[in-house]
Amino acid sequence: MDYKAVIIGGSAGSFQVVTKIVSSLPANYPLPVILCLHRLKHVRSGFVEALSIKAQMPIVEPNDKEPIKSGKIYLAPANYHLYVELGNRFSLSTEDAVNHSRPSIDLSFFSASYNYKRKLVGIILSGANKDGALGLKSVKDNGGLTIVQDPNECQVPTMTLASMNATNVDHVFSTNKIINFLLSLA
Amino acid sequence: MVTNEDVQRFITAIKMASTYDFNDYSDRSFKRRVEKLLVDNHMDINQLSLKVAKDKDFLEKVVKDITVNTTELFRDPEMWSTLRYQILPKLKKNKSIFIWHAGCSSGQEIYSMLILLNELGMFEQAKVFASDINSDMLEVAKKGTYKYRFNLGYLDNFDKVIKENPLNYEDVKHVDYEKYFDIDKVKDTITMKQFLREKAVFRKHDLVKDGNIFYSKFDIIFCRNVIIYFNNKLQNSVIELFSNSLYREGYLILGAHESILGPVANNFERTKGFYRKKQF
Repeated sequence: MDYKAVIIGGSAGSFQVVTKIVSSLPANYPLPVILCLHRLKHVRSGFVEALSIKAQMPIVEPNDKEPIKSGKIYLAPANYHLYVELGNRFSLSTEDAVNHSRPSIDLSFFSASYNYKRKLVGIILSGANKDGALGLKSVKDNGGLTIVQDPNECQVPTMTLASMNATNVDHVFSTNKIINFLLSLA
Repeated sequence: MVTNEDVQRFITAIKMASTYDFNDYSDRSFKRRVEKLLVDNHMDINQLSLKVAKDKDFLEKVVKDITVNTTELFRDPEMWSTLRYQILPKLKKNKSIFIWHAGCSSGQEIYSMLILLNELGMFEQAKVFASDINSDMLEVAKKGTYKYRFNLGYLDNFDKVIKENPLNYEDVKHVDYEKYFDIDKVKDTITMKQFLREKAVFRKHDLVKDGNIFYSKFDIIFCRNVIIYFNNKLQNSVIELFSNSLYREGYLILGAHESILGPVANNFERTKGFYRKKQF
């Protein structure tokens, strides 16, 4: 089980879950963790700081063409789409919103699954729209591992249910099980 | 599903039929733009490649549709406040200030800067040049008319940069919107005042191949959220162009999440997201 990256998408109701996941990963976690979360366009700073207080891994909003490194948490910057390019770098784009969202979870998941193929873990958390469903399908279609947060546990289950509709997900996990799984990769 | 080979053939077709070269654009966003073109034109990649090879007007239209044109008035207010309180005061004593907006898109960045310069009493000494690869966007920029309701955020940004002072909350300036633009709620437009619209010189320009077309060096070059669409190699050659086009101690202003990664970074000092060309 040699995964190269973890990518997590979430929207409404996911902040507490993300905080819990992020605070559970050790400082020397061996994979990059890419977070693509919907947030208010004008709330630019503050989010990274809020997560950083809880996290042991360093959290950054990546710059364009920044190389992707293990042991870091990358948060998609507000008001940009975040792509993973071949050659293991990020790129950013200000193209129109997709699924009313920028960053769009689908776009980040498409590009990550294209780059990492079966060596990617894709996780969809609580959320109020369908952005991310096709992205998770792309992870599955490229041979990666797919996980959704248990809809019964989600504050808003639209995103996870849409993902389960779009593809045959590998695991439906509670937050604690997601954490245990991620720790098992270390 | 468009493959990398498809995209490559399309890029080659454009290159053979024109002076445009998209080989060094970022893969993921370029591929996505191509996919959008296919949907919008109801064509497959072969039809599209064939048509750009044969039809010059269609090729020009495709080039316009491929490039991304997102911008807003005072995008990233914190950057504009830094410019206002920390950068521009250093240039005030200069007789002239040469400014280039490279990749100006629909022009909001130009008007943001002009408003700021006017507030600081530096409007007259500024020589403003603007360029974009997309001639339609240059026309929009010259007109200086934008949708009003869709862009209500412009007014919030204006308030943050022009009326408020992040270093001193008691320092609130009273500046009427009418000083700089007319809002027509019936037509749903916001239009920049004539004295702003007359200021800049506009030229069509392709950063990939055109070099410095203004026969001038610059004190400030803006190029925000443009080089994100270029790969590392092209980014470096564009930054090289900017470095050669700046006066010593001139400023290069990139987007909030752009940085200089190659060796040309050694030509600059970085402070607070601004790159300043070194003296030597």
